Amino acid sequence: MAEILDVIEETPTIKTFKLKPERAVSFETGQFVEMTVPGLGEAPFTPSSNPITRETMDLTIMNVGRVTSRLHEMKAGEAIGVRGPYGKGYPLDKFKGRELLIVGGGVGLAPLRSLILALLNSISDYKKVVIKYGARLPKDIVYKEEVKRWKENKALDVELTVDKGDESWKGNVGVITTILKDDMGLDSGSGIAIVCGPPIMMKFSTFKLLELGFKHENIYLSMEKNMSCGIGKCGHCRIGPYYACKDGPVFTYEAVKPYHNIWE
Amino acid sequence: MDQKYLKKDDFAKFTEYLAEEYALFYVKKSGEDKLHIARYEGKDELPVVGCVRPFEPLKNFFFLAREKVVDGYGKGEAIAAKRKKPFCILGVKNCDLAGLSILDYVFTEGDFQDPFYIKNRQNNLIIAADCTTALDTCFCHALGNRHYPEKNFDILISELGSGYIVGHGSDKGRAVIDKNRAIFTAVQSYHLKERDDLRRSVGDKVDSNIAREQIPDSSQYKDIIKSNLESAVWSREADKCVECGACNVVCPTCHCFYLFDSSKGDMKELRFKTWDSCMYERFARVAGGANPRDHLWTRLRNRFEKKFDYFPEVKGAYACTGCGRCISGCPAKIDIRKVLKELVAEKKTHQ
Repeated sequence: MAEILDVIEETPTIKTFKLKPERAVSFETGQFVEMTVPGLGEAPFTPSSNPITRETMDLTIMNVGRVTSRLHEMKAGEAIGVRGPYGKGYPLDKFKGRELLIVGGGVGLAPLRSLILALLNSISDYKKVVIKYGARLPKDIVYKEEVKRWKENKALDVELTVDKGDESWKGNVGVITTILKDDMGLDSGSGIAIVCGPPIMMKFSTFKLLELGFKHENIYLSMEKNMSCGIGKCGHCRIGPYYACKDGPVFTYEAVKPYHNIWE
Repeated sequence: MDQKYLKKDDFAKFTEYLAEEYALFYVKKSGEDKLHIARYEGKDELPVVGCVRPFEPLKNFFFLAREKVVDGYGKGEAIAAKRKKPFCILGVKNCDLAGLSILDYVFTEGDFQDPFYIKNRQNNLIIAADCTTALDTCFCHALGNRHYPEKNFDILISELGSGYIVGHGSDKGRAVIDKNRAIFTAVQSYHLKERDDLRRSVGDKVDSNIAREQIPDSSQYKDIIKSNLESAVWSREADKCVECGACNVVCPTCHCFYLFDSSKGDMKELRFKTWDSCMYERFARVAGGANPRDHLWTRLRNRFEKKFDYFPEVKGAYACTGCGRCISGCPAKIDIRKVLKELVAEKKTHQ
């Protein structure tokens, strides 16, 4: 079990739950856990916190279903279940010395926040880190304060976009692909792109990245499916010869491209 | 394998021994031609040894239709099946043993194993038997399976006109035969000849099923789904499907399960595992409503893809044993033989 230490309202539909698990949990950034609302059910989430912090864990969760809507009613002090971590996360070893492009959409910034925090732990190991993040409306941007700090951090190059702006919005307006351009200051032929967001956003981002010259094996995607058991047994999250829960949820485009309906 | 002979008259002594040592399950004739698995209650029962596979797949014993997997979440307590006695299943056919090897792969191999399945697999006794006839829907040979078991059993019984040839397939099986050595006699060469003749005639019946239905051999199944992703077969067959999930329930290799939580009084942390069906609309749906297999025809295609593309790729085996249960179980008469035949034919036209 894990105690909810704090609940942070990120957007009207997204909250970050800071948890203190009964036992310290070590996870690799990009791995996921199954979170249980006791008596109701469980659902998979990738922690959004720094993987070096073992005593607490953040889960950033959108209110979209049966389990998450009950969770959104829960307060600090209440207990939920956490099991895991499961699956394969981001291969940080392969990222070392490389130029990284991180592309996030909506609540898809949650796993990427964990990745960004992991990169910041030893930022000099990476040649360059560019972050492109898109949300529907300015109010839908998650980690607003933290994103501001990232923008001020010289080691990171951050750009945001919203599908639809408002009077206070000074940044780019347009879908995520409008800020994926060849002026990003990266060598697309050798750079690594890490994409996480809704399936449609990942699909068009991937196509754009391929157009920009990113290699198939250098595009990392979060192929989250209906991961239920988390251990490759229950059969729900199959993609071709893989189970998203045990072989993913992070896959390279190279690995999943031979299979049909990957974007659905 | 050492083989012994057991006279028909002495068979009851053997079942009495089994019933004493094990919770004994056997194949029971019900009505004219129905075969069901039943619990052995006493010597009036007459186990069907040969014949064909029963209605229920063997997986029921190991991968339970409903099983409690968590009782007191977070207290580190997991519960595994508690049985007073190990169980014995008498009369298991080869199509079910082939199915069991798929389930063993799923639940006992890889980084994670299923402790419930493993517990259910331990200490029990599997007594396999030759098929002594074949149903019209039997097509095991097309999948490379024989109609008599060759491995994955403790004891094998071949039923003959006047008795049985009994052999062991494991040390456990050998010990059971040794304990009952008084009731066995030596196998004679004419017993073996009788078995050979019977195996040949049953084999001919299976082969004639395959010829009659023009079922292609599994050597032609490579990539039959991959090369027929948009085939008209899927929507045509799916149009008949009523999404009852019977094909999944009766299949000896279908292993998908659904986890659901429940509460009872103060106990807020109960979790159950039940059989799931990939034909159900919500099978792959994620929270928020996105569904990678929204259309029924894509779910039907997924079912075939799992059996004929996925398992060959990960395990090197087809997850269909040719038992024919899904053919007789389907209220819409979706026929796996016909689908395979059309897919193979369509693949050829693409080439």
